[in-house]
Amino acid sequence: MSDAKIGVISCSGEECLGGTISRLATRKVLEELKPKEAVTLCLPLFLAGGEEERGFAKVFPTISVDGCDKLCAKRGTEKYSGKINGSIDISKIIGNENALNTKVVRNKDLKDEHIQMINKVADEIVKMMSGIDPTAGKPCGCCCGGKC
Amino acid sequence: MSKKMKIVPCSGIGKVYGLIAREAVLKVVHELCPEKSETVCLGYIVTGDKEVKEKMEGRECITVDGCPKMCASKNVSIAGGVVKEEVKVMDTVKEIKSKNYGTATRLEADGEAVVNAIAAKIAGKIA
Repeated sequence: MSDAKIGVISCSGEECLGGTISRLATRKVLEELKPKEAVTLCLPLFLAGGEEERGFAKVFPTISVDGCDKLCAKRGTEKYSGKINGSIDISKIIGNENALNTKVVRNKDLKDEHIQMINKVADEIVKMMSGIDPTAGKPCGCCCGGKC
Repeated sequence: MSKKMKIVPCSGIGKVYGLIAREAVLKVVHELCPEKSETVCLGYIVTGDKEVKEKMEGRECITVDGCPKMCASKNVSIAGGVVKEEVKVMDTVKEIKSKNYGTATRLEADGEAVVNAIAAKIAGKIA
C-alpha cells in the first residue's frame, strides 16, 4: 500500500438517503475528482478482514463520510483502525430531513436534486482532502504535528 | 421490536458486486416484500452500539455479500444476528454471464439483471 494517498471511508448506509449519498460522493471522488490521490476500503472490512485492513487508517490519512449523525464510519474507523484526520457529516450539508429520507435510497430513484447533493458532498470531501498532506505522519495525539 | 426479516447487504464500495448486493436488498425491502422485510445499515452494525446489538440479537437475517470476505455475514453474526441464509452475488453472476455488469457506481443492464435475479431469490425465501 502506498502512503501517498488519502483514505476516504464512506458509511454507505442502507437505511436512508444519506448513506446512498455518502457512497456515491465517495465514488465520485475516487473515479472523477481525485482518482490518483484517493483510496477507499469497505467499512465492514475493519471487523471482517485481517490486520492489513485494520491498518488502513494507520497507513493513510483518512476522512470519514457519514450519511447521518450516528457517524458510523467515523466511529467504526476509529474503533478498529486508527484516528481519522477529518470527518464529514452529510446531514450538516444536505439537512437532516434529506439525510434521513427512507423512501429514496436506491440509485434508480435518484433525481437531479439528489445528484446535486452528491456533487456538493463530493466537493466537500475534495476540500477536506486539500487540507491534508498525504505524506505527513498520522496524528499521534501529542504536539509534534505528526513528526514524532 | 420488528418481526420483519432483516436483510443486510455488504454494499461493498470497491467493485460492482457490492453495488449489486446493495441494490438487490433495497429492491426486496422497498419493492418486493416491504411488509415482511427490512434492512439495517451494516455500518451501524459495525459500530457494535448497544442499540443495534439489541436490534440484531437472536433475529433471523439474510445476508448478501459481493466478495469472499463475507463482510455482511460476519458482521451480522458478530452482532448476534442469526444468519438464516448467506446469499453470494457471485453464485448468480455465474448464472448470468456478462462482460459488463457496470461499476461500483452505476449498473449496466446485465448488472440490473443480476440484481433482479438475486432479489427474486430472496423474495422467494421470505414469501
